[in-house]
Amino acid sequence: MPTPVLATKLFFPAPRPQITSRPRLFKRLNDELGPSRKLSLVCAPAGFGKTTLVSEWITQRRQQHPGVCIAWLSLDAHDNDPSRFLAYIVAALQGVDAEIGNEITGRRHSGQVLAVEPALTSLINDIARSGKEFILVLDDYHLIEKRPVHDALAFLLDHLPPQLHLVIATRSDPPLSLARLRSRGELTELRAADLRFTPDEAADFLNQVMNLGLSTDDIAALATRTEGWIAGLQLAGVSLREHGDVSGFIKAFTGSNRFVIDYLLEEVLQHQPAEVRNFLLATAPLEHMTGGLCEALTGVGGGQGMLEGLERDNLFVIPLDDRRQWYRYHPLFAEVLRARVLQELPGRMPELHRLASEWYEQNDLIEDAVHHALAAEDFGRAADLIEAVLPTMRRTRQDGMMLAWLTALPEEVVRVRPLLSVFYAWRTLVSGDLDAVEPWLGAAEQGVKAAAAEGKGPGNSDLKSIRGQELRMLPSTIAMYRASLAQARGDVYTTAQHAREAFELAGPEDHFARGAAAGFLGLASWAQGDVETAVDTFSDAVASLHEAGNLTDELSSTILLADMQIARGQLQEARKLYERALDYAAAQGESAPRATAELHVGYSELSREFGDLESAARHLQTSKELGRQVAPLTEHSYRWFVAMAGVREAEGDMAGATESLDQAQLLYLRGFFPEIRPIPALKARITIRQGRLSEGWEWARSRGLLPVGELSYLREFEHLTLARLLISQFRVLPAEKTIQEAQDLLMRLLEAAEAAGRKGSTYEVLVLQALALEAQGQRALALVPLERALAEAGPEGYVRLFLDEGPPLAPLLAEAAARGTAPPHTALLQQSKKTVVSQTAISRTPTPQREDLSKRELEVLRLLGTSLSGPEIARQLFVSLNTLRTHTKRIFIKLEVNNRREAVRHGKEQGLI
Amino acid sequence: MPAEHHGPGQYQLRIRGHLDSSWTDWFEGMVLTQENDGTTSLCGPVVDQAALHGLLAKVRNIGATLIAVNLLEDQDPGQNH
Repeated sequence: MPTPVLATKLFFPAPRPQITSRPRLFKRLNDELGPSRKLSLVCAPAGFGKTTLVSEWITQRRQQHPGVCIAWLSLDAHDNDPSRFLAYIVAALQGVDAEIGNEITGRRHSGQVLAVEPALTSLINDIARSGKEFILVLDDYHLIEKRPVHDALAFLLDHLPPQLHLVIATRSDPPLSLARLRSRGELTELRAADLRFTPDEAADFLNQVMNLGLSTDDIAALATRTEGWIAGLQLAGVSLREHGDVSGFIKAFTGSNRFVIDYLLEEVLQHQPAEVRNFLLATAPLEHMTGGLCEALTGVGGGQGMLEGLERDNLFVIPLDDRRQWYRYHPLFAEVLRARVLQELPGRMPELHRLASEWYEQNDLIEDAVHHALAAEDFGRAADLIEAVLPTMRRTRQDGMMLAWLTALPEEVVRVRPLLSVFYAWRTLVSGDLDAVEPWLGAAEQGVKAAAAEGKGPGNSDLKSIRGQELRMLPSTIAMYRASLAQARGDVYTTAQHAREAFELAGPEDHFARGAAAGFLGLASWAQGDVETAVDTFSDAVASLHEAGNLTDELSSTILLADMQIARGQLQEARKLYERALDYAAAQGESAPRATAELHVGYSELSREFGDLESAARHLQTSKELGRQVAPLTEHSYRWFVAMAGVREAEGDMAGATESLDQAQLLYLRGFFPEIRPIPALKARITIRQGRLSEGWEWARSRGLLPVGELSYLREFEHLTLARLLISQFRVLPAEKTIQEAQDLLMRLLEAAEAAGRKGSTYEVLVLQALALEAQGQRALALVPLERALAEAGPEGYVRLFLDEGPPLAPLLAEAAARGTAPPHTALLQQSKKTVVSQTAISRTPTPQREDLSKRELEVLRLLGTSLSGPEIARQLFVSLNTLRTHTKRIFIKLEVNNRREAVRHGKEQGLI
Repeated sequence: MPAEHHGPGQYQLRIRGHLDSSWTDWFEGMVLTQENDGTTSLCGPVVDQAALHGLLAKVRNIGATLIAVNLLEDQDPGQNH
């Protein structure tokens, strides 16, 4: 049986064919449905016909305007979880236009956290783009009580596109700024006074719909007694249908002070056969009904037939699907029936709930099974069910509901269930209550031991069950949360310790656990500046995530791995990682658009370093387009703006670059990854380039930076910025002490970078050393570090490393090219306009050649000596594959060889490579 | 000890129409009294504001018309005023 939840909640409750038409209300809804109207609010107590009114109005509107898309969502108390609320809104809209909200659903399926506002923004954009007209109905909104869901609704309303109209049916005013909406003319309201049946409508209902043939006086008496309350009139109609003595009934009813429902329900129940009465009372606790479920509660067969009969007799059952599989009682009727059960069948309620829980469990509808177990106060049963459904709930991120469930459980029930304890620990961790985490982890650990001692742990019987698998992975998970806790506290050593423990505890098949643990270890090594270890460990992490089939995490981690390779100076490795990951993402049908968007940002930064600003800007554009479809607010979001700042800075737009960095700062989330390039330092570099040194010093002071300060990898970027500040200061005010401080600092930075294999940092230090020496007028000495940087960094494709230093470095670059000892490579020369290509640089080949290779051909030959593929070399050289083939052919002819391997060997022999 | 309005206290709700005493269980421990003016008063202990709102929601859910909510100084749930 398919789950009733999703489909029935989105089911449009078509009005019964025979119904009292209410043109006066439709007119108000229609007349006021102009483009300025955002919200139609139908707000009245139970039993005023809200749902019927809205569904009939919509049916009519759809006939008049066939193009309008109607999305209907019946809310229930479980929708107080904002991510669930959002998912249903998306599903409701998607049901009428498949183009809406695709990216959000994609992210949900990949198990990502749905940040509400960005997701709504994406949804709003989809609707605005669709060019269609939508009406979204939220029925039973009074069941929403939680602030985050109200906030989501308020956000939607504040940003409502003109194509979307919202209809809310509720028993109480939603906590929105209704007064403001009213004063702006954005609100249509129908309230109890409007919804009451007028005497004419009551006459139409009782005589035309119920076919009772009552006199005008009788109708007036009933309308007065019920005050036009539709539920009352309907119950009265049902009673009258069964009643012989119409005037007697009306006299007795109107003469009584009894609560309308009390009076009428008793009348109705009295006239029902015993089996119907019993059925109504036994099924009263149910929120949804289907034949089998009702039979489980009543203990007799014929459930489906009974439901159909009740619908036919107008006895307050409402079908929830077209096939009449699922029904529910009118909520008012259900409440009153439940009160009757408490009175007439004392003590029966928990048993009925337990029976419902068992039926739902047998039918694999675990959420409802939990709900009824909790209602039965059978907490052990509820806890066992919650444990079983926990992995699914976590994957679909229904954290709010999980939490509500756990809160409903007594603490001692949670503590003896390690899976639940760990979930609780995770919740506490996420909420930032760090001190409360460890007790729950401790309880979980105890629980695992106890389970193992009882043989319930990783034993044979449980091995195949979900719970068994989860239990087996738990020790590793506990260690992982301890690592997270330590990371949140900034304790790198303890983080690594627990991450290692988590890795060792994870089984060889627990790819996700292994991946996550390796990821933590890699990040810890990275934060300590040990990029070699970081790359090794993180490569394992990415491989494990691949094995685990977690595409989004795999791709996201690739970006970090590329960052580590860049720190090692391995730009070509980083490029390969990006290209492979992008190819892979494309092959997977771009099913992870957020991660793909992030990859493009990383690739953009790399393209910028290669000197290809056009490509850098293009990747950012692609990323933006992908990102627009998804909620872009993640721990990676800030980076798009950092990359944009880089492009703008390289284009000479310093104000634009600063602006981008300001935006990046707003989006930056601390604590996820080592902060390798702090944004304030990036901004300081711009002010230094602009010669605004006093601002630079202000930054250095605010960061407590001193040239003699202790070095660490996490401060390296700042120290390299400080070195620039000192050199620039020296150019303005040549004090020996200033430049000496810069040189000492650079020397120490060089040692640290070289010791840890961080070639990226090494190259930067070398360039700065050259600049420091040049500033002192020692050009010959300055060429030494520069030539080393050119020789080592050039083959990797570094361009902006040199060009970003601007005019001070240009004469040095020209001189290096002229000397030809380590000629700046082509791309660099092409871009460094002040640098003149010197033919001498290429003619000084150590051994005579049959025919000299051109400079370009030499470049190609060097690249043939790497592991790059043909297309990769072509891209590297900014030429087409055909041009590359022409170069290659000429090289083969000149070297008298037939293939790449021979060409490289000859090249090496002749000292060309 | 006077009842704090945000803490536990005795509350009285008045509802239009006569509610049967059969609703006592439904309103969990409230004492129902049918008044001569055609209203019903529900009196009883309410532990906090959340419980009071829960009680009001119950009144709402059966479609009854709420006329008044009073905090009683008197701690005896049997008394109306």
